[in-house]
Amino acid sequence: MEFEPLDDFEEKLKRSFERWPAPPELKRRLMENRHRRKERPRWFALPREVLVAVSLSLGVGVFAALYSGIASYQHEQQREGEAARQQVLTALRITDHALDNINKQLAAHGRASQE
Amino acid sequence: MAHDWQPDFEQLVDEHQSMVFSLALRMTGDRGLAEEIAQDVFLEFDRWLGKMESADHARFWLRRVAMSRSVDALRRRQTRGTDRWVEMEDHHGIHVEERTSPLGARLEQLLATLPEPQRAALVLRYQEELTPEEIAAALEAPLATVKSYLQRGLKLLRTKAAIHLKEFVREKECVRGV
Amino acid sequence: MKNRFITFIFAAVALAMPALAQTAQLPAPSPIEKELAARASEATEITLDKKMLSLASRVMDGKDTYDDATRQLIENLDGIYIRNYEFDKEGLFTAEQVEQLRKNYETGEWSSLVRNRDRKTGESSDIMVKLVNGESHGLFILNVEPKEISMVLVLGPVQMSDLKKVKSIVKGTVKGRGGAEKSIPTKGKSKP
Repeated sequence: MEFEPLDDFEEKLKRSFERWPAPPELKRRLMENRHRRKERPRWFALPREVLVAVSLSLGVGVFAALYSGIASYQHEQQREGEAARQQVLTALRITDHALDNINKQLAAHGRASQE
Repeated sequence: MAHDWQPDFEQLVDEHQSMVFSLALRMTGDRGLAEEIAQDVFLEFDRWLGKMESADHARFWLRRVAMSRSVDALRRRQTRGTDRWVEMEDHHGIHVEERTSPLGARLEQLLATLPEPQRAALVLRYQEELTPEEIAAALEAPLATVKSYLQRGLKLLRTKAAIHLKEFVREKECVRGV
Repeated sequence: MKNRFITFIFAAVALAMPALAQTAQLPAPSPIEKELAARASEATEITLDKKMLSLASRVMDGKDTYDDATRQLIENLDGIYIRNYEFDKEGLFTAEQVEQLRKNYETGEWSSLVRNRDRKTGESSDIMVKLVNGESHGLFILNVEPKEISMVLVLGPVQMSDLKKVKSIVKGTVKGRGGAEKSIPTKGKSKP
């Protein structure tokens, strides 16, 4: 096959197959997942000086327990939410697939009745 | 040989997320799945970031892995393509988004009915404008095989387009006549 | 006397249960599902109760058109129950097993909208809706192909028109919200 200048149909294909833009949420979720994977909780992005000052005033032990407990809970909720979201998307996919198959069966049934 | 290029993950995501997502979407025809694949590809990319030698290397890697993951996902799902007209009629009454022309939307649908290797070759040819040699590298397939996929895939797409575009034209005439 | 009083209390509570129940309950997995899963080359089993659907809705925070559409679809539902079994070859499940999956929905509560049977191929399709006082409270879809069984149960106020939204979300053809313009995508360039 020669790869010379594209013919009219190929030009149409090229124009039609432009890249789709990525969903706006893709990058945000990706960066969150990446961040989570590196296991550096930053739910409270306070300056170091403030953290040190609060630790001193509250007592390092109490603060550390609160910080990791709340961050851990929110982290867990977010993770569970994401997992549930993925399951919802899979559920929709399977539903769509089942409906497509039903559509095909009905179409075939309709053609058979006409014969 | 040491390389001077310092990869910036976020900047590379900005630059290539559209490519990765589009490849996955055109291969699988499923937006949710394409998103999942794109996430997986970039997270995997993050692990290999230190080994990327240049911007071209990064792009090549992302393209290759996006295609590979998309093909895996397709095979797992055992999607059966179909060119049944009644399916392509947006049976559930959804309007195709007006990003592209109605003709373009039809071509997208027809692409989804092609066998997976031919679909992969055509997507890389017409979306990414790769040469057959580059497609062979991205798909890790022999050059002769890729040329065959392109030839057969294009022929099949032309034939389907000729049939369905005739239907499309007839449908538009009917609507106008109402 | 005491026994009669206790019996009366139990009966009153039993009668009041339907009124007290706020949400429909998802079914427990049946032995038939275990049998099918054991023979399938691929089994997908999803059970999402109201709590899980609510968690999912919360992370779909509306910045994305598709998440928005998905959230609207699921936020009022009581549950989603999916079983999908794919088999390597035909003949790995029987008509009786399929009948077992279907029979729980062949009750007075459920009305059939689609019922298709092909005795030659063994393919069948069912779409049923659960009506309570004329309102839809559930949807059951069962599709049987020679090498695949798909069962979908949705509990809660779901309409047939919601099925249209499923396809638009899955295929990525939901119309964007007003003002959400898409940028022109850049074409891929060949390496030298």
